[in-house]
Amino acid sequence: MKTICRIFAAVVACFCLSSCGYNTMTEKEEAVNKAWSNVENQYQRRSDLIPNLVNTVKGYARHEQSTLTAVLEARSKATQITVNAEELTPEKLKEYQAAQGQVTSALGKLLAITEAYPDLKANENFKELQAQLEGTENRISVERRNFNEVVGDYNTYIRKFPQNLMAGIFGFEKRAYFEAEAGSEKAPKVEF
Amino acid sequence: MKRTIFLFFMLLPMVGLMAVGKFYKVNEIPMVHLQDRTRYVCNPDGVLSEMAVQQIDSILFALEEKTGIETLVVVVENIDGGDCFEFAYQLGKQNGVGKKGVDNGLVILLVRGERCVQFATGYGLEGDLPDAICKRIQERQMFPLLKQGYWDEGMLAGIRSVNNYLIDSEGWSSDGNKDENIDKELLVCFYVFLGCIVVLILIVYFSVRANRRCPHCKKSALKRSNSRLISRVNGLKTSEVVYVCTHCGHSVVRKEEEEDENYTGFGGGSLGGPFIFGGGRGGSFRGGGFSGGSFGGGSFGGGGAGGRF
Repeated sequence: MKTICRIFAAVVACFCLSSCGYNTMTEKEEAVNKAWSNVENQYQRRSDLIPNLVNTVKGYARHEQSTLTAVLEARSKATQITVNAEELTPEKLKEYQAAQGQVTSALGKLLAITEAYPDLKANENFKELQAQLEGTENRISVERRNFNEVVGDYNTYIRKFPQNLMAGIFGFEKRAYFEAEAGSEKAPKVEF
Repeated sequence: MKRTIFLFFMLLPMVGLMAVGKFYKVNEIPMVHLQDRTRYVCNPDGVLSEMAVQQIDSILFALEEKTGIETLVVVVENIDGGDCFEFAYQLGKQNGVGKKGVDNGLVILLVRGERCVQFATGYGLEGDLPDAICKRIQERQMFPLLKQGYWDEGMLAGIRSVNNYLIDSEGWSSDGNKDENIDKELLVCFYVFLGCIVVLILIVYFSVRANRRCPHCKKSALKRSNSRLISRVNGLKTSEVVYVCTHCGHSVVRKEEEEDENYTGFGGGSLGGPFIFGGGRGGSFRGGGFSGGSFGGGSFGGGGAGGRF
């Protein structure tokens, strides 16, 4: 009789745990992690494009050394800040976002000065880099938005009634969002 | 009278919109592909000519047959918000252009009012059609023509280049993709075939049962006991058959027509015998006409390129 009771209790516990959303919470958390890695990938992609871009510009615009160094500096600072998906606190995310925002604005300045160099603008290599950069900015904004959606979904889920008890026990914490930064939410419009 | 005035006022803004050119939202673009799977070009404002639309459709249909890439071309006068990248991306995302999992969707957008062209590539197509190539095709093939207002020529040139690039690009795994398609189609065929057979069997069963049903006691217990030939005309044998119910003994007389095996003349096709089908087969498996297509639910990650001319 006792064993039957125990087995019964175990089965009930199993159902409770799954119905209280433990599995769903895990799935949603995993989705957040995945979305974050997508965001990081796209920033990484942009970061990989920069040396190439700077080199190409350097060949044509030697006088713009300060702008070029600014881009490289911003890039190296940004690559130092990596945030693990598990520890996405608002502060860390803000730091990360600020560093990447620096890169965005430095790149914006760099592209603005290229306006003055028609030879550079006609360079095939530069054109392709520029197209890639533009595409990467688009991808970044898409992935950021996607990340915010997924995080929103996760956060609402773990804060709803029965799940919030479980979330507390198992340590599912609220994750931070990307916030709209002045001027960086939208990819810089690069028009030529 | 009231109604006429009402109608007039209802129609007035529509007329106005037609004149100005509508500012489309993403979900307002009529998806012609869903009605007809051979059509890919949404051209609600008639920016492109019918000829050009047909040419583009046939290129893109061939492309899909060959590589599985699903394309959506949208050509409009104006869009709501005026952000071409966002619009193209949302077109792809909301309609799920591209196969699920493979994500090989491609959206090509031309907004005449904004003077912009935008390509959006699905996740899976970013490698096969990189942004730089999109940009190059736009700048070399499309913009020079579009600048001068040659809308048909510009779009055709661009789509031809995209098509050529995609077909030529190495490492394109068209085989794997295609096989999967064939497998799926075969499977569908098989199920349709199976369904037809089941329906046929049921029809035969019920018609036999109905034939054997006694009108008196409603039991399916009629048995043929006697028959008498009445006439033999044009290869058609008519005979009177007597059925007796084994349950209640009620007897029924029916006239039945049959094909005469001995008849050697021509004409006089087979008519339905006691069963519902004497000749002809029911159910065609794949209709000849073009059915509506669908997009496979591919996802987009902001790939592609665009620009203004």
